[in-house]
Amino acid sequence: MASVYKSLSKTSGYKEEEVPANGVKKNKQRVLILSSRGITYRHRHLLNDLASLLPHSKKDAKLDTKSKLYQLNELAELYNCNNVFFFEARKGKDLYLWMSKAPNGPTVKMHMQNLHTMEELHFTGNCLKGSRPILSFDASFDSASHLRVLKELFLHIFGVPKGARRAKPFIDHIMAFTLADGKIWIRNYQISETEASKITNISSEPSDPPKVKGKSDKGKETEVSLVEIGPRFVLTPIVIQEGSFGGPIIYENKEFVSPNQVRSDVRLKKAGKYNARAESGIERLAKRGELGLRTSGGRTLPKDALDTGELFA
Amino acid sequence: MVTKSKLKMALVAEKGTDFKKLNQKKRQKAARKEKSTKSGGTAEKEWESMDEASDGEDGAPVNGEEADSGNEEEVDEPMEIDFARLDESDSDSSAGENDQDNSDNEDDEDIPVSDLEDLNDEEREDLIPHQRLSINNTVALTAALKRIALPIAKMSFSEHQTVTTAEPVTIADVSDDLNRELAFYAQALSAVKEARKQFKSEGVPFTRPTDYFAEMVKADEHMVKIKAKLVDEAASKKASTDARKQRDLKKFGKQVQVAKLQERQKETKQTMEKIKVLKRKRQGGDNEATNEAEMFDVELENETSGSKPSRKDRMGPNKRAKKDEKFGHGGKKRFSKSGDAQSSSDLRGFSSKKMKGVVKQRPGKARRAGGKR
Repeated sequence: MASVYKSLSKTSGYKEEEVPANGVKKNKQRVLILSSRGITYRHRHLLNDLASLLPHSKKDAKLDTKSKLYQLNELAELYNCNNVFFFEARKGKDLYLWMSKAPNGPTVKMHMQNLHTMEELHFTGNCLKGSRPILSFDASFDSASHLRVLKELFLHIFGVPKGARRAKPFIDHIMAFTLADGKIWIRNYQISETEASKITNISSEPSDPPKVKGKSDKGKETEVSLVEIGPRFVLTPIVIQEGSFGGPIIYENKEFVSPNQVRSDVRLKKAGKYNARAESGIERLAKRGELGLRTSGGRTLPKDALDTGELFA
Repeated sequence: MVTKSKLKMALVAEKGTDFKKLNQKKRQKAARKEKSTKSGGTAEKEWESMDEASDGEDGAPVNGEEADSGNEEEVDEPMEIDFARLDESDSDSSAGENDQDNSDNEDDEDIPVSDLEDLNDEEREDLIPHQRLSINNTVALTAALKRIALPIAKMSFSEHQTVTTAEPVTIADVSDDLNRELAFYAQALSAVKEARKQFKSEGVPFTRPTDYFAEMVKADEHMVKIKAKLVDEAASKKASTDARKQRDLKKFGKQVQVAKLQERQKETKQTMEKIKVLKRKRQGGDNEATNEAEMFDVELENETSGSKPSRKDRMGPNKRAKKDEKFGHGGKKRFSKSGDAQSSSDLRGFSSKKMKGVVKQRPGKARRAGGKR
């Protein structure tokens, strides 16, 4: 009987969702969160932090492959997720973040830098686990089409939909996305409200008991301040694909320099330093030889009558 | 070279341009340019004008068509101008709305790496070749966005909870941590204020009541750790300031000590002076004593009484007088110690018993008994 009731109620619920009261499609998001193999503990902690901030997420085990990322689509379908949030670690140090709308794209690949987990940041802010954040976007997200796509993806993945299963009421934190220097900076703040200027309250009505005070507080705005919670990280968009983990590339960031390139450049610079030094050493030797200052090799100076060897022989 | 879009190919076919010829011409031009640079002393402007002139020469005889020469000009413009345009393509401004247009532009702007090989080394050093062609397919991007976009305009604010700032946030120097974080904070704070207004208008609960407890993102142990860290930090700060103070004290300790000693000496001197003044006054007139008692503290009085009495205050005869009396002062000193009739007749110290020698007195009966025991 129970199963029959369940199925019946489910179907009815489904119909309700199909046609909401105001005729607008409901915002339903579920995010599959997972990482590749080879992530470090900091990457893992960051992933956990983000998962704890997103009650509409489903965390899965590490993905074995790094080349066949299209498998993620099947995984997402398996878990009923329409968003994929995937950490790809390379060389045990570089972290790439893939964000995708699961069945048919688009997909964004970004390079993650300056990441700090909640634990290591020691911020005093805290918020309810699963409360819905306010998302604050920089206006420059609307300036270009690829940024608009990015913004939409952030909205789907970091915005907790209303009525998510583990979501809690009340709004007590805000996620800020800012575009600076071609990178996206992400911060997470707690909204702390303090009663506005108690001193003025007391001075205005010193004789009255707190009953009146409470009344006035209701009408009055409380003062808002922010306390950072963490984590922090910076994203550099690299590539946008049309499909989900596949399809043609519709945006590529030319300014992005891969960390491998940076490292090799540094190494080359160092190597160049040694080469220059070695070369200059050889040059110096040749110069000294030319002047006849070396004991062996090079030009020998013609004997002079005024040489010390000749004079004091 | 024959990597152009269909439309362009068709256009070319209609015009009947020979790609080989064009290529050859290009090579010639490059060679000429090299020569001109090698000959030296030719300013940029000069060979620019020369190129333009040569354009006119080339364009006319090979193909009579005006359109072709126009096309040529684009290709044969001095390299620097091309670079400038290349740079522009970095920013997405040149990405056209029309897909066809876009591809055309790319054909013109991006120089394939193979072309660069013709340049001499010096020129190649200045140039940063973009092997990767810039891809920014605006049409596809907008299509993708349209496919996934939520109808934010139709949704209530509490559904999506997104706030976009009115003006783009500008950060002058990204590596300036303080100002950067301040900008982020300001952005978030303005968003919160905006959002709260919206929530209030929609009647959605915003503030968490104080009696609502639930699991937090950071567990209690974590918060305890943070608190401990804060306390630790404060303690270490205090310790360091204390240590600094101590160090400073040590540095000036000697001076301080000397100053203190001097001060103490000064104090004692002052009190002594006071006492002296007091005494002088007392000697001057007894009738003022009562007033003095009032004027000075009781402690001061005690101090005076406690101190040693001066020589003049001591009672009894003068020592000098006594000594004079004993040893004589003035008058005859000779024979003063020798005996005279009076002293020899003085028998006060005479005793017959003493003359007989020392006689031990027999002790009493009780003493004798005690001695036996």
